[in-house]
Amino acid sequence: MSEKDQYKNRIELLQGTLDMLVLQTLQWGPQHGYGIVQALRLRSGDVLQVETGSLYPALHRLERQGWVQSEWKQSESKQRARYYRITAKGKKQLASDLGRWERIVEAIGSVMYVKPEESES
Amino acid sequence: MKWFSSFGFQRRKNELQEEIDAHLQMAIADRVARGETPEAARQAAAREFGNIPLVQEVTHEMWGRGWLEQLGRDFRYALRQLRKSPGYTITATAMLTVAICANSTVFSWIDGTMLRPIPGARDAGDLVSLQRGERSFSPTPPFSYLDYRDLREQNHTFAGILAYHHDWITLTGGAQPERAYIANVSANYFDVLGIKPVLGRFFLPEEEARGYAVPSVVLGYSLWKTRYGADMAIVGKPIEIARHRVTVVGVAPEGFVGAMPGIRQDLWVTLDPLGTDAWRMTHRSGGAVWLNVVGRLRPGVSRGQAAQDLDTLMHNIVAAYPNDHLGDNRITLDPMWRSPFGANGYMAATLPILLAFAGVVLLLTCANVATLTLVRFVSRRRELAIRQSLGANRMQLVRQMVLEGAMLSTGSGVAALAVTSWTSKTFAWLFPPNSNPVALNGSMDYKVVIGIAVASLLAGMLCGALPALRSANAPAIEVLKAESASISGGSRNRRLLSALVVAQIALSLPLLVCSGLFLRTLRNLAGANLGFEQDHILTASVGLNGSGYSGDEEQVIRRKILDRVSALPGVKVASFTDWVPMTLSHKGEDAYPEGYVPHPHEALQVYHAEVGPRYFESLQIPILEGREFTPDDKEKAPRVLIVDQTAARRYWPGQDPLGKKLMVWGSPFTVVGVAKNSTHMMVNETPEPMVYMSFFQVGYETIVQVKTEGNPADVAPAVEKAIHEIDTQLPVFDVRPMRESTQMASIFAVIQSALAGMFALIGLVLAATGIYGVVAYRTQMRTHEIGVRVALGASRVDVMRLVLLQGAWLTGIGLALGLAFALGMTRVIAGLLYGISANDPATVASVVTILGAMSLLACYFPARRAMRRNPVSAIRDL
Repeated sequence: MSEKDQYKNRIELLQGTLDMLVLQTLQWGPQHGYGIVQALRLRSGDVLQVETGSLYPALHRLERQGWVQSEWKQSESKQRARYYRITAKGKKQLASDLGRWERIVEAIGSVMYVKPEESES
Repeated sequence: MKWFSSFGFQRRKNELQEEIDAHLQMAIADRVARGETPEAARQAAAREFGNIPLVQEVTHEMWGRGWLEQLGRDFRYALRQLRKSPGYTITATAMLTVAICANSTVFSWIDGTMLRPIPGARDAGDLVSLQRGERSFSPTPPFSYLDYRDLREQNHTFAGILAYHHDWITLTGGAQPERAYIANVSANYFDVLGIKPVLGRFFLPEEEARGYAVPSVVLGYSLWKTRYGADMAIVGKPIEIARHRVTVVGVAPEGFVGAMPGIRQDLWVTLDPLGTDAWRMTHRSGGAVWLNVVGRLRPGVSRGQAAQDLDTLMHNIVAAYPNDHLGDNRITLDPMWRSPFGANGYMAATLPILLAFAGVVLLLTCANVATLTLVRFVSRRRELAIRQSLGANRMQLVRQMVLEGAMLSTGSGVAALAVTSWTSKTFAWLFPPNSNPVALNGSMDYKVVIGIAVASLLAGMLCGALPALRSANAPAIEVLKAESASISGGSRNRRLLSALVVAQIALSLPLLVCSGLFLRTLRNLAGANLGFEQDHILTASVGLNGSGYSGDEEQVIRRKILDRVSALPGVKVASFTDWVPMTLSHKGEDAYPEGYVPHPHEALQVYHAEVGPRYFESLQIPILEGREFTPDDKEKAPRVLIVDQTAARRYWPGQDPLGKKLMVWGSPFTVVGVAKNSTHMMVNETPEPMVYMSFFQVGYETIVQVKTEGNPADVAPAVEKAIHEIDTQLPVFDVRPMRESTQMASIFAVIQSALAGMFALIGLVLAATGIYGVVAYRTQMRTHEIGVRVALGASRVDVMRLVLLQGAWLTGIGLALGLAFALGMTRVIAGLLYGISANDPATVASVVTILGAMSLLACYFPARRAMRRNPVSAIRDL
């Protein structure tokens, strides 16, 4: 698969889901921005490509809202980087985001997989 | 604060940069580990990351801004917008500055006079001035000491009541004699006003009515500084006043100049310091009525209650001493800001009206600036609409525009503040040299600053917020659509623009009418027949009384003066008087025909003046019957007087007044002549009866009146020298041509017409430029339409008519509204006019003509430009 095709398979993130994905990624441990991008890409099988133009503003917004905290640390490769860590408040937010997400998926699913005869009645 | 927060902002920016660098480094490292060359890895990583500055900018947004930072951003943006159109910014700021300054200047004058009637006094709002009898424009002192004391001791409504009488006196004992204004005051004078001495003490209650061999004196601050060198040890030292030794007991604080608004008292003594005025202290009428009285209301007591209280007391006094209280004895109380005693009576009649005019100028200017702002907003409509569709909410846009207006008006306010700090002090310049110790000036205190702030706020609201709200109300889509579809700028803005032009014309019309009426009044005053000839007359005051001469010495000196001055070259006639007409001063006295029994509440007050032989001849006042005074009408001779026509008609209607007797000061005076009426105080006075008495019998102050052959000012040095040759210690002052002295009588008319004229001129210019601007703008907006019309066969005259008609409509509506407005405004100034009615049709017609012509002229230029446009290029210009 060429790089161009790879791009085609990626999907745009639904509005509001980036926060949830970032918070979920941080559930597995503190991570820096690059790490979050890599983690999301790996876990989604190269489908989810987070734009840096969205990620950093989101990270800074999450920090302002108190859902993540950041500190400067050395990475494994001796690179100084800013590590984000999810807070208790962030975990609560994640739970509520997840709940809402599940309801949306369920709702969309029940619309999409409706049986034809039911809809005609 | 701002410095600190921007420092934090910088730190965060650096951190973000580092974070992004780390991201790139890690991406490159990963790629290199996968086998890419470092160069290719770096390029790929950068490509993958995207637009770094954009990422940074969007991330900055996430940090959020405090309202202060947001305001700062709006502020910088507004500043940039204003700087982008310097023409607009400078014009608007300059116009608003002038308008605000007009208001703040007049207000500073009101503040320095009416609002601070007695500088230094505590709670001047509780002070009232007492007037007995008829209310008049410039009354004489209304109370005797005994009446005053009864009122002071028996009332239930006053915290204190003070009394004073003031006059010029000569300070002797130094190298040079110096004239000063001295006040005889009740002992509680300073207490009632709430003044504390800076040195020593003020008067004690037991000192009030007692005479002393060496009386006590309190010095005013400026006299203490100038004549006595700010001597800190002056208390207890002797000084000399009119050749009497007195002891300084205290010094009044800086700024305090006495209890009469606008008049400066230099030093204070008790009511009868030498004990020589026993008669005056123990009588209730005639010459014993000499005190001005000011009271301080008890807390919670209204003026009406206090007046009632005093009226009851006065009623009892009148009942007890009926012969001393003939005529009207009702008591009226005035707050000090409009006290008839002192300057505030005049101020209250003039300054508020001028402030109203200035207010109209401000409104007018706001309408003009709002027009400019609106035109500017309309041309920025696209920018605003785009910003709105990019997500700026409506509130932000309004805030933006209001901020621009606020910045303009704030800048103007600051400039006005600077200018006013100077113009407030120009009030004193308006008064010509005169014989009164006038202490009038504007003042620049917090009230003026608040006034400027309020005016600026109002201006900002009117010329920023109003157009902003109107523009921002338009939905973005519509504006964008309108921009492409219509060329005339949308009907909503057109209507607002028209309204603004109409307002400007409507506001400037009454200003012009009023100033026209004032100017005509001034001309009428100047051309009025005064009843006396004031050219070729020089007057010079000689400080004989109050300098410590005995009565006999005075008579000798007066004779010598007359001889010497008469002999001077260039002098035709020399005579004496103790009063100069039309100098805002007069003397009043009760006078009754012999045998006449006045009704209760009937005041038979007359003006009086003491004049010497040949006085009437010098002033060319005809003696209609009888004779003028002669040198034989002297002290030992029978008392005589000359009445004017008004007095003759009042006392002896239909009879021959000659030989009749009039009781003044309790003694009979025989009428020996009738003089023609002449002006006493000011041209537009109602004639008061006047009696002239012989200077050598009852003359008090000594004023030499000289009729000259040539310019009276040329003789002045010789006259002064001649008097000084008699006695070098004789103070000679107020030496000036009579024409100069009588300027005082029309000074308020001059002030009114000068300021009103200035305001009206500003109004005219604003209205003309306002209508020009709007018609030019709208014509330009209609260029395309006009081009089409011409292309379709409209003639140039049609185009001209089209544009002119549009201006004429606005002008017509504005003039009609303005006329209605003017009718109301002229009614307010009717009392200040002379020889012209408030609705003088000629003035109104000429103003309407001028304003109408100016407006049409202002429309003509854009019309001509439109007419001359080539229709083809006009259509293409789209």
